[in-house]
Amino acid sequence: MTVDGVPNVRVCVEPVREGATVRAQNVLGSLDRDLLNVVDRIGGPFTPVGFYYRTMLRPRRLWPQYERVLRNLAGLGCLDKSGRRSGRYDVEHRRADVLVIGGGEAGVAAARAAAENSVGSVVLVDERAAPHIDGVETLAPARAIGFYEGGLVPVDAGNVLYRFRAGKVVVATGTVEQPLLFPGNDLVGVLLPQAVRRLVDDWALKPGDRGVIVSADGAGLDVVEQLRRAGVEIVEVVDLRESLPSTLAANGRRGRLESVTIEGRELACDLLVMSGGRQPAYSLLAQAGARVEYDARRGIFVPVDLPANVEAAGSVTETEPAAAPPPPSFDGGDAKGRCFVCICEDVTEKDVKRALAEGFDSLELAKRYTTVTMGPCQGRLCHLPSIRLYARETGSDEGAIGTTTARPPWAPVSLGLLAGRGLEPAKRTAIHHRHVELGATMMWTGAWRRPHSYGDAAGEARHVHEALGLIDVSTLGKLLVEGPDAAAFLELLYPNRFADMKVGRVRYGVLGSDAGRIMDDGTIGRIADDRFYVTTTSTGADTVIEWFDWWNAVWGMDVEVVNLTGALAAVNVAGPRSRELLGRLTDVDVSNEGIAYLDTKEAHVAGVPCLILRIGFVGELGYELHFASPYGEYLWDTLLERGKDLGIRPFGLEPQRILRLEKMHIIVGQDTDSESNVLEAGMPWIAKLDKDDFVGKWALEHVQARGFREQLVGFEMANGVVPAEGGQIVLDGRSAGRVTSARMSPHLGKAIGMAWVRPQLAVEDARIEIKVDGRLEAARVRLKPFFDPKGERLRA
Amino acid sequence: MTGLDFVSLDRAVAGDGFEPRLSSPLCRALEGSDRVLDLSFLGKIEVRGDVDAINGDLEVVRITPQRALVLCAPEEAAALRDRLPGMVIDMTAALAGLELHGVRTLRRLTDLDLDALPAVGRVADVPCLVLRNGDSFRLFFPQEYGHSVAEVVLDVLKGLE
Amino acid sequence: MSFLLPCPNCGPRDVDEFAYAGETTERPQGTPSPRELASYIHFRRNAAGVQREWWYHRFGCELWFLAERDTRTNEVLKTELPSTDAAGSPTPHEPATPDTPAV
Repeated sequence: MTVDGVPNVRVCVEPVREGATVRAQNVLGSLDRDLLNVVDRIGGPFTPVGFYYRTMLRPRRLWPQYERVLRNLAGLGCLDKSGRRSGRYDVEHRRADVLVIGGGEAGVAAARAAAENSVGSVVLVDERAAPHIDGVETLAPARAIGFYEGGLVPVDAGNVLYRFRAGKVVVATGTVEQPLLFPGNDLVGVLLPQAVRRLVDDWALKPGDRGVIVSADGAGLDVVEQLRRAGVEIVEVVDLRESLPSTLAANGRRGRLESVTIEGRELACDLLVMSGGRQPAYSLLAQAGARVEYDARRGIFVPVDLPANVEAAGSVTETEPAAAPPPPSFDGGDAKGRCFVCICEDVTEKDVKRALAEGFDSLELAKRYTTVTMGPCQGRLCHLPSIRLYARETGSDEGAIGTTTARPPWAPVSLGLLAGRGLEPAKRTAIHHRHVELGATMMWTGAWRRPHSYGDAAGEARHVHEALGLIDVSTLGKLLVEGPDAAAFLELLYPNRFADMKVGRVRYGVLGSDAGRIMDDGTIGRIADDRFYVTTTSTGADTVIEWFDWWNAVWGMDVEVVNLTGALAAVNVAGPRSRELLGRLTDVDVSNEGIAYLDTKEAHVAGVPCLILRIGFVGELGYELHFASPYGEYLWDTLLERGKDLGIRPFGLEPQRILRLEKMHIIVGQDTDSESNVLEAGMPWIAKLDKDDFVGKWALEHVQARGFREQLVGFEMANGVVPAEGGQIVLDGRSAGRVTSARMSPHLGKAIGMAWVRPQLAVEDARIEIKVDGRLEAARVRLKPFFDPKGERLRA
Repeated sequence: MTGLDFVSLDRAVAGDGFEPRLSSPLCRALEGSDRVLDLSFLGKIEVRGDVDAINGDLEVVRITPQRALVLCAPEEAAALRDRLPGMVIDMTAALAGLELHGVRTLRRLTDLDLDALPAVGRVADVPCLVLRNGDSFRLFFPQEYGHSVAEVVLDVLKGLE
Repeated sequence: MSFLLPCPNCGPRDVDEFAYAGETTERPQGTPSPRELASYIHFRRNAAGVQREWWYHRFGCELWFLAERDTRTNEVLKTELPSTDAAGSPTPHEPATPDTPAV
C-alpha cells in the first residue's frame, strides 16, 4: 500500500494515523475493478518472466514509457519525482554489551537473563512493542536490517538508524511461516496463520465468515482457537502431517476467495488459512557468518556453526519437526488460478519452470532472472518454496541446491534513513562570509568553497594587470617542516635543491612520486636554518601532508611536519600598486631591496603578524600574506579599505586561472595527469638529477634516456576561438595531442591555452590545428609565457 | 619579529590606526544559539617530543606518545609557548572548539566510545578531539570545517528537542 | 567495509577512520634496472591471504602504521608502528608474509 505518498508500506505493521492517505498499490482503480486483472487474465502468455528483457529492448527511446507501465504492473509503487526530503533522518552510534534481536519469548528470556547476570548494558530490539524488562533498554518498533563486518548491526527505528557495535549479539528472530503453493494462493482471503493471530488478537478483527485451515504443522492448526473466538465458522481443517491431499486449489472471483477445492470437493469459504510449516529466520545469523544447512527430516534450512560473539535463542535454530514437509506445490486439478511462488514479485510456478527450461538452472541465476526473493519480503515467504520447487523440477535435493547468499537489508529500509543527515562537511576559509557578502559566486574545489568570481571574471583579471587585486588563497596547503634534517628531508622528497637556499628565500617546487609523476606543486620558503614553510595546492594539501608523514615514517629522519593549513589564512595582494598598499600597512622596507622577488619575511601588516612571500602566480608584482586565520576578516576588510583609493578590487578563482594561464603556470591535475613528469612538462630546471637520490629520480632518468613522448606547451589561436579543455590537436588528420587549459585573455585580447603535443610540435611558432566543434582551427605553439615572458613585472 | 609569531593570536599589536580584531569560525553558525559554547579562542598549544616532560598544573591531552595538546586560557598561551619542552607550536588558530551537553547528542555525531575519552576520531565527518566531563563534552576540530560542524551540531540538537 | 581496525595508538576504530595505502613495497637500494624500477612502481603481489600493508589514521592520531590483514576475510592479525633502528635510518620493510595460496 502507499501511505502518504510513501510506496511499499506494509500496512499490517504500520500504525494508523489521523489524516493519513492510504492508497492501494499494484491495482488500477480498486481491487473490485482492478484493470490489471484483465492483463493478468489475457496476459498469462504475455507477461512471462523475462518478458521485458527480451521484448522491450527496442526501440530504446520507448523504454521510459515501457518502464512506467511495467513498474505499475510489477507492483513496485511510485515515487513522487518532484518530492523533496520529507523527514529528518539521524544516525545514532550505539554500543551495548548484549544486543538481543527479537522480542519474542526467547528474546525476552535472553535479555532478562543477561540483565540478571549483570553482564553490562543490554538492549533489546523488536519490530513490534516489546515488554518492559528491568535493566534492559528496549528499542521498539525497530528492526535490525543486517549484520555487517565487524559485528555492526544497523537498527532501523523509523527516523533514526542506530548503528550498534555489541559485545555479544543474541539473534532471536524466530521463524517465518511458509506459504503453500497451489493455484489461487494469491486471492484475498488466503492468509498465513500469523496474519490471523494479528487480526484477531491485536486488532480484534474478524478475518472472514467461513474458514478452511490447511497446515503442515501444529502451530498453524492452533489458529482454529482464534477463529472460533472471533466467530468464524470452521468449514474444514486439514492437517498435512496426517493426510496429503492430491489436489488443492483456491477459487475466486474479482480477486476474492470464494471456495477451496480439496481433492475434487469444493468447499465454499471466504477464508483459507494455510501454512507450510516454519522456516527459521536465519538471515541475520547467515550474514554474521553462520553456515546454513538443509534438514531433510524437517524440510527446512537451519543455521549452524555460529561465529563467536553471536548466539541464537529460541526457534531460530530449533523448531518442532513438521511430520512431513509439504510438497513443493500442489496440483490444482482443473483450477484456473495461478500458483504464485513469489507474491512480492508476481512470479508463478510456471515462470520458475520456464526459467529452468531456458537454462537458468543455478539458483543464483534463476533468482536474478525470475526475481524470486528480490521483493520487499526479501525471501521470507518465497525462498524456501522456490528452492523446493527447483529441487523437484531439477531432480536434485534441497541440500545440494543450497540457499542464495543472505545479504542486508533483511527488512525494507527507506533510502532517506540510509542517506542520513542532508549536510556534508565543507571547508570554508576564515574570509568565506565576506565573499558571500560581496556577492561572489561560490564554487566547490575539492571540499573547499571558493569564490569563482565577484561577477566579472574578465574585468577582475584585467584589473590585476592595471591596478590592484586581492584574492583569498587561504585554501593553500601550508606545512611547517622543522628539525635538523629538514633540508635533507625536502631534498629527498622534491626533485629540487633546497640545501643551498638562504634563509628568507622562496623556491618553486614540484613534488613527484617514485614513478616520476607530478603530484603537487607549491612554494618552499626557508624561514630558519632548520625550518621551512611549504605551501601546496588547495586540493592536494591533505595528500601532500600524508605523503610527507609517510616518508617521514619510512625514513625516520629527525624532522617534524606540522599542518598549518587551517591555522593560517592567506591573501594575495597583486598588481602594480600592491607595493604601495603594503607600504601603508607595515613598517618594514617593502622596496625591491627590502623584499625582493622570491623573498620571504615576517612582518606586522596592519598590526597582524604575517609571513610575507613575494611570489607571482598571477604574473604581477604581488605579496602573499599568511597569518593566523581568526584575523582573516579583519585583514581582508583593512586591505580593501586602505586600498580603496588605489582601486583595489577582489578577484576570484576564474580570473586567477586566466592570469596564471597568461604566465603558463601549470595547475596540477588540470594540465598534468597520472603520466606527467617535470621533464616533459617543460620544467627540466626543477629536476636536479645530480643529487644522490630523491623520490622519482630513477623514473626521470629513465624518461631522459628513452626520450620525450610528448611535451606540455602553450598555444595561441589564430582566430580567437577558445577550444574546449580536452580538445584534440590534429596533425595530418591524426590526433597529435590534447588541450589541457584554454581561456580568452582579456588583457592580451587572444585565445590562449596549454596542450600536450608530440615532441616534434614542441617548437616555438609551430603550426597546429585544434578541433573545435568539429572544425579545425589554426593555432601556433608558444614556449614562453604569453605575458611578460622575461618576468620583469614580477621583479619590478 | 622572529620565530612563528604569525601563527599565534596574541602577537598582534594595535596602534597607528590599526585595531586587529579576531573572529571565530563558528560565530555565524552559532548566532542566536545558547545551547553551544564557542571555545575556538581557547589556547591550544601542541607539543612534540617527550610529552611526559610536560609539568605543572596543566590540562594536557596526549594524542600520541610524541604529541600532545595543552589547553589553556588565551592569555596563558604566550608564557606556555616559552616554557613547554620539545617542539612547541601554537595551534589555537587551527582548531575551532565548542562545548555541548548530552550523551545522545554525541552519539549522533560520532561512533567513538564515549566511555574512553579523551580521544581523537571522526565526529560529524571531520577529524576531532573529544574531551568529556560528565555530561559535558568539548570538541576541537579543524577550523575550516567549523561552520559545517556547528551546523550539524545545531541540527542534531534540534532533532533531539 | 565496516570492520574494526586496531590503531596501535588509538585502539580499535571503524575502518572508515583510516586511509589505506596498499601493501608494503621495497624501495630499491641504489639505481635500479628498468625492470626493477617497473617492478617496484607497478607490480604488487595482490595476495589472497595475509598481507602486510600501510594504513594511516586520517581521522585520528595521524600516524602511519603497518597491519597484517587477511585480504579474504578482513581479519586483522596484527598492527604496529614502523620501526627505525637506533641510528634513525630507515629499516627496510620486510617483504609481506609469504603469499598464502588462494582459496
